[in-house]
Amino acid sequence: MMERKAPQPTRRAALKGGLALATLPLVANPARAQDRPVTKVLDFNTGADIAKAEAEGEFLFYTHDGEPAAASIVEAFGKDFPKIKGKYVRAQNGSLFSKTIAERSAGKFNVDVIQFSEPATAIDFQKRGGYTRYVSPEASGYAPEHLSNPVGDYFWVGVTFAGIAYNTDKVKAADAPKAWKDILNPLWLNGINAKQANSGMQFIQWFELRKLYGEGFWKEFAKLRPRGFDSRVQLYDRLAKGDDKVCALAEYAGYLLHKQKGAPIEFVAPADGLPASQLLNGVADKAPHPEAARLFVDWLMSNRGQAHYQNNPFLYYGSVRKDAPPMPGGTRLKDFKLLIPTDMDALMGAREAFNKEWNGMLGL
Amino acid sequence: MATDATGMPTEIAPQRLKSLQMISMAATVGVVTLFVLYPVYYLLQASFDVGGADIRPPTAYGLDNYAALTNYQAIIVNTLVVTFAATIMALTFGFLTAWILTRTNVPFQRTLEQLMVVPYYVTPLLGALAWSFLGAPESGFINQLWRHFGGEAALIDITSPMGIAWVMALFEGSVAFVMIGAVMKSMDPSLEEASQVIGGSRVRTMMRVTLPLVAPGVLGAAIFVFAEMLGSFSAALVLGTPARFYVITTAIYQLVSQYPPRMPLAAAMGVSLFAVMFLMLYAYRRITAHRSYVTISGKAFRPRVMDVGWLRWVLFAVCASYVLLSVVIPVATLIYASVQKLAVAFPLASNFTLDNFRQALSLNAVRDAMTNSIVLGLVTATLGVIITGLLAWIIQRSRLPGRGLLEYVVMFPQAVPRLVFAFGMMWAWLVFPIPIYGTFWVLLIAYLTVFMPLGVRTISSVIMQLDRSLDECGQVCGASWAYRLQTITVPLLRPGLLAAWLLIFVASVRELGASILLMGPNSKVMTPAIVEAWFSSSSELTAAMALIQTAVIAITMTIFYLLTRRSAQQEV
Amino acid sequence: MSAGTTAPAIDVENLSIRYGSITAVGSVSFSASPGEQLTLLGPSGCGKTSTLRAVAGLERPTSGAIRIGGRTMFDSDKGINLPAEQRGLSMVFQSYAIWPHMTVFENAAYGLRVRNESGTALKEKVHHALDLVKMGPYADRNASQLSGGQQQRVALARACAFSPTVLLFDEPLSNLDAKLRSEMRIELRELQRRLRVTSLYVTHDLEEALAMSDQIVVMRAGDIEQRGTPGEIYNYPRTAFVADFVGSSNLVQGQRLTEVSDKARIVITTDSGNVLHGVSQGRTPHERPTLSLRAVHLALSPNRPDVPVNVWAVTIKRVVFLGDISQVHVDWGGRELVIRQTALTDYVAGQSVFLSIAPEHCILLEAD
Repeated sequence: MMERKAPQPTRRAALKGGLALATLPLVANPARAQDRPVTKVLDFNTGADIAKAEAEGEFLFYTHDGEPAAASIVEAFGKDFPKIKGKYVRAQNGSLFSKTIAERSAGKFNVDVIQFSEPATAIDFQKRGGYTRYVSPEASGYAPEHLSNPVGDYFWVGVTFAGIAYNTDKVKAADAPKAWKDILNPLWLNGINAKQANSGMQFIQWFELRKLYGEGFWKEFAKLRPRGFDSRVQLYDRLAKGDDKVCALAEYAGYLLHKQKGAPIEFVAPADGLPASQLLNGVADKAPHPEAARLFVDWLMSNRGQAHYQNNPFLYYGSVRKDAPPMPGGTRLKDFKLLIPTDMDALMGAREAFNKEWNGMLGL
Repeated sequence: MATDATGMPTEIAPQRLKSLQMISMAATVGVVTLFVLYPVYYLLQASFDVGGADIRPPTAYGLDNYAALTNYQAIIVNTLVVTFAATIMALTFGFLTAWILTRTNVPFQRTLEQLMVVPYYVTPLLGALAWSFLGAPESGFINQLWRHFGGEAALIDITSPMGIAWVMALFEGSVAFVMIGAVMKSMDPSLEEASQVIGGSRVRTMMRVTLPLVAPGVLGAAIFVFAEMLGSFSAALVLGTPARFYVITTAIYQLVSQYPPRMPLAAAMGVSLFAVMFLMLYAYRRITAHRSYVTISGKAFRPRVMDVGWLRWVLFAVCASYVLLSVVIPVATLIYASVQKLAVAFPLASNFTLDNFRQALSLNAVRDAMTNSIVLGLVTATLGVIITGLLAWIIQRSRLPGRGLLEYVVMFPQAVPRLVFAFGMMWAWLVFPIPIYGTFWVLLIAYLTVFMPLGVRTISSVIMQLDRSLDECGQVCGASWAYRLQTITVPLLRPGLLAAWLLIFVASVRELGASILLMGPNSKVMTPAIVEAWFSSSSELTAAMALIQTAVIAITMTIFYLLTRRSAQQEV
Repeated sequence: MSAGTTAPAIDVENLSIRYGSITAVGSVSFSASPGEQLTLLGPSGCGKTSTLRAVAGLERPTSGAIRIGGRTMFDSDKGINLPAEQRGLSMVFQSYAIWPHMTVFENAAYGLRVRNESGTALKEKVHHALDLVKMGPYADRNASQLSGGQQQRVALARACAFSPTVLLFDEPLSNLDAKLRSEMRIELRELQRRLRVTSLYVTHDLEEALAMSDQIVVMRAGDIEQRGTPGEIYNYPRTAFVADFVGSSNLVQGQRLTEVSDKARIVITTDSGNVLHGVSQGRTPHERPTLSLRAVHLALSPNRPDVPVNVWAVTIKRVVFLGDISQVHVDWGGRELVIRQTALTDYVAGQSVFLSIAPEHCILLEAD
């Protein structure tokens, strides 16, 4: 991971000492953190008052993830904290954002923890004061670039990254793509798929590869008449059945799931790196169950939650935790060379251009 | 008994019975206005919103969103092509089968009639999915077999515009059947016989007598089906997207699900669709306004069917193949797909699995959602029939000023794609003083709103055929409105009311567009979970879930059918 | 039933019905005394059905007043408008309005059930009503298994079963075949007399009106054209419209010869120079008055009849055989006159004959 200038020196100092001083209050956001005693529960630390959290008895989780994924997360949490019932509402990232904003502008604050699928949405939400600032004691397990600026609004709950995948029945070994430029091969005309513009992952791939290969890269790609889909499952489904030959945005998570089913597919990790998109999770402002929300976020940040995100087949998201265990299949996130946008302003600024180009390319 | 000079017992017909009618009518109009116009207000507001993204209420207004629609000409053309093609196909299926099953001595008429409505119980997603398993150019089973036996490329392409229209029509044909069938059942057969007696051939009779007589019902069904197609989403999503073919609904879906969500543009698209529907409805009103379509006259008739001779077996084949194409083959395909790890045309022992069903049934969310869906369906259908029945009555029969306007108002939720209308409802019920947002109630209101056109259209077409004097006679006999409703109107409308109940129930259980946005954490329903599975799990798991949903609907329908049949027998 | 016999059973006063800018019924007034049968007669679209429906309460009039048995049902000035179900009337509909989902018995029992009758009293009354129309044996039949004539009878039984004092009929016989219609005409009249029920009857059929009414009101374009007994209407039509509608009439217009006319007698000369003597019926003639000559009153003879006036030599143009009677068209000074008589079969086209008519059968009409 590339070196990044930390926005706040004080926070970095605090994070360094975080683990050692686990029982001491964190100083990153002194006003909030100081009056929060840290307790150890199971094998992680929490700044939440567990008794109060259990008295609250429930929390509401908003997520872009699918139904089974969302259900599995609150269920896993529920196993550790049976007195707290996790409820969830899920919708596609854009709809979720609109719904949440509409609720909040109507004075309805019912969400406790919210998760978006791409940074632009989370930053927008942050600018509108959507998050409540809470610095989890588990934040010490994360590099500063994997936390919001300022710290305590959201964190990278997982990372999904994508290479190239192809159908081994339909693509001869000699033609198999190896590098990103190989997805431009005219052989894939009417036989290559990617995601729709609503995908944060797709946005980041567009952003990163354009940085590497110039704007012409995607113009070339457009000539292949790529087909756009809403989820990685659809991409792999079509690839596995031979409806498409190559998947230009092959998320590793989807590859694992389909390979297990015995699909004739192969994953390629181009040497230039794999575009990766972070999923961002944080406690909502005016959360009706603040203690349960904090406990849930602490749990998500801890290795318990992270393990669930890495191992559940509906998720299979890589963990950016410094001490994260390997993903299924034995690899660790850090074994891949990832391309993650660092310049958030540039990323935010490019969103309109991406939507326009991508929608146009997919025939919308 | 005290009687006055007119021989009228004084104790009957007290003023309060009259006021009961006024209260019912006022309440119905009030409910409709609130349910429909309240969200419409927010929708219109959004369509003129040119202020900052997702700042509510909007900070600036303008026409930019409507101007931007010109960038989507190709999509509008796509939508119209598919919608018209599908409407024509669905009406053809519906009319033919309705005529065959109500008017001829086709064998196994009762069984066929029950089977005919089954496609409607089938979630549109299931149909689309099944046909995509069957007819995808590369992996479709039919095309795999075709190539296996030496064919070149693809035999059929279900992802083509006509393929999409075919799938939509196949499943919407049932609605056309139910609507047109209700009309035909209540038609005086002597009108047809009159034509035959004077030497008109059967085809001529059908074209010149049957068709014009059921015209309002057929036209009503056409308008309804057209609107339904215009707003249909699943088939276009499952089949069109792979072919880079977008219609307005799938375009809207993309526009609202990407960041930043382009709600104002989607709202403008929705409002424009209403303009299209408004014109169609206006044309319909003009056509039917000056003609009388009373076919249930006070002259009672015997239900009679036409003897078509050996042709009955041909007609049987027509109905049977419709059922085969829309129910048997898709369901069989899905069953076949759902027990495979990766659905392929040729069975392999290693590919066999029951995991998909195990997984579908183990999802707590799915089990709760299923219960919610059924309960919501029952409540929506029952309340819906009452509300839409009164509404249809007001529109067709009352002298209430502005009742013509009501008909247009009622059409709004039908004309605007559910996905967009749902945003209007969300904004509306979020700021509603009574906190119902996020609960079961908001879903109930949403369903009652979006299925209002369905109920009104089904019941209206039967009311239109009812001779006014049947009710007036009861009125002159001294019966109050409520008593007439109970003894005359409801019994005579029974087939129409049952059809409406059935349609609304099924539509509720399979509702997708509005539910996605309005479901709260405690009020989850089924169909979004299925679509979800399609997005995030696999088509095989989706197939399993869709089959489970279809089975549950089928069981509920069977119970309903048995109950109504028993109560009908008891009455006789 | 009470002492209210002095009040008319039906009293309609200045009734008008407008639909937007269209006036369906202009200001009409009429009344029927108890036990009387009053018929509204006129061509379709004349407003007779609208008037009937307004009396029934099925149509809301724009203005005027309707009183039944002295009780105000509608009064635009006082803001009274009783709904149909509170007017205590009964009605037979053109379409019969037999409820197909009920038995004959239930159809007939409806009005009684509404009046909370039940048990043996109800049964007796219903069977009485059904017997009255000879439908007793069909009580348990399903209404959907009846023929047109039977349905008509059931509709009648239903209308009478609860002994209403006022019965409304909206062209009840128009859907029956000719034979059945003439039978029912007599039966209805009999029934109406027997029950001594006041009835308001609407029809466009002249014979029906003549045969059944005590009083006829002829309507035209929403207005009353003439009222009177069947004899008055038939013999002394007031206007060309009535004369024409009430039966085949020859209308002759000409210049009034003032020197020979007096108060009771009128003499005109037609454009072709024929002089016609008639009676003025107390009506004031115009400059160019019209006289009505009923086809049955015109007489033909091969030789000149011995009468002082109204005799002309004419040529037969056409002879039409109509069964009981024949119809002869003659050329009368350049225009055609129609004669209807029995035993005209001896005449042939082209024959020269004499045409005559008694002056008292040439009725002066009021101007339209």
